[in-house]
Amino acid sequence: MRAEFVLLGKRINMTSRARRRWLVALIYVGFAVWMISAFCFLDHLQDVFESMMFLAFWPAGFLVNRYLLGGYGYGGLVKPFYNTQPWPYETPRDPHWLCLVLQLPPSPDKVDYRNDERELRQRDHVHFQAYRAVSVSMVIVTMLLYMRRHERPFLGFLSVPSDLPFAVTLAVLFVSQTLPQAILLWTEPDMEEPR
Amino acid sequence: MNNQPQKGPGESGLYNRIAVLRAERGISRQELADAMDVNYQTIGFLERGDYSPSLKLALSLGEYFGLPVEAIFSKQPLQPLSQQVYGTGKPKIALIAEQETEETL
Repeated sequence: MRAEFVLLGKRINMTSRARRRWLVALIYVGFAVWMISAFCFLDHLQDVFESMMFLAFWPAGFLVNRYLLGGYGYGGLVKPFYNTQPWPYETPRDPHWLCLVLQLPPSPDKVDYRNDERELRQRDHVHFQAYRAVSVSMVIVTMLLYMRRHERPFLGFLSVPSDLPFAVTLAVLFVSQTLPQAILLWTEPDMEEPR
Repeated sequence: MNNQPQKGPGESGLYNRIAVLRAERGISRQELADAMDVNYQTIGFLERGDYSPSLKLALSLGEYFGLPVEAIFSKQPLQPLSQQVYGTGKPKIALIAEQETEETL
């Protein structure tokens, strides 16, 4: 795990667990607010909105990993899970507007991509925990879709809202991309000094 | 810097002398981590007993410090190395403390 990350050109120290927990909480609260507001304002989603939301939420997880959480990219706090050297690339000399907003990661030869034996064990452990949560969520999504399709009352007293299976699917999509890294950042203790 | 002898076995259930050996030799966590090819955080976890190393890492640590693995890791609380090497009896300071306790009783 990295001790700091760069956001908007500013180095932020993330050695304390409390800070990392705040970051994780902010990400999920932000996601929840975004999703709830989208479903409230759009009332009854039309097909085109559903597609747009799906397209918007998919890269959301990717961007959060890429710039904040890490794990599946060479940016963010958690080192890449793959444990392999990144593909070589060249940083553009004239960065486009997006690069001005979001800091590019260091070039691959400078990226700390190797995980030692403890980090690999932690990686496998958090994926196991995340897998359990996501698999349970998938069962819930499937159950909701089934009940919606057959117009069965939910738990015997409530009908399933039409948008609920879609909302849960989006949440599962985001959570499945980010949960292992979030668990890792949440559980790892304060980082010590290398001295 | 945490160079105090380990108080408890930690999550791993193992006692170790890594912090003491590192302090004796004046090595930083980063230097030891570089030599072992691990993250310096892992050295901290080892020192606190919160991580039990692989056999490979344990042997590498033994090789690095020039000690057998059982001199670095133990399932039982570890005595000071000097006491273990030079004498099986209790150190004088411990005997004095025991004598004082008996006197107060």
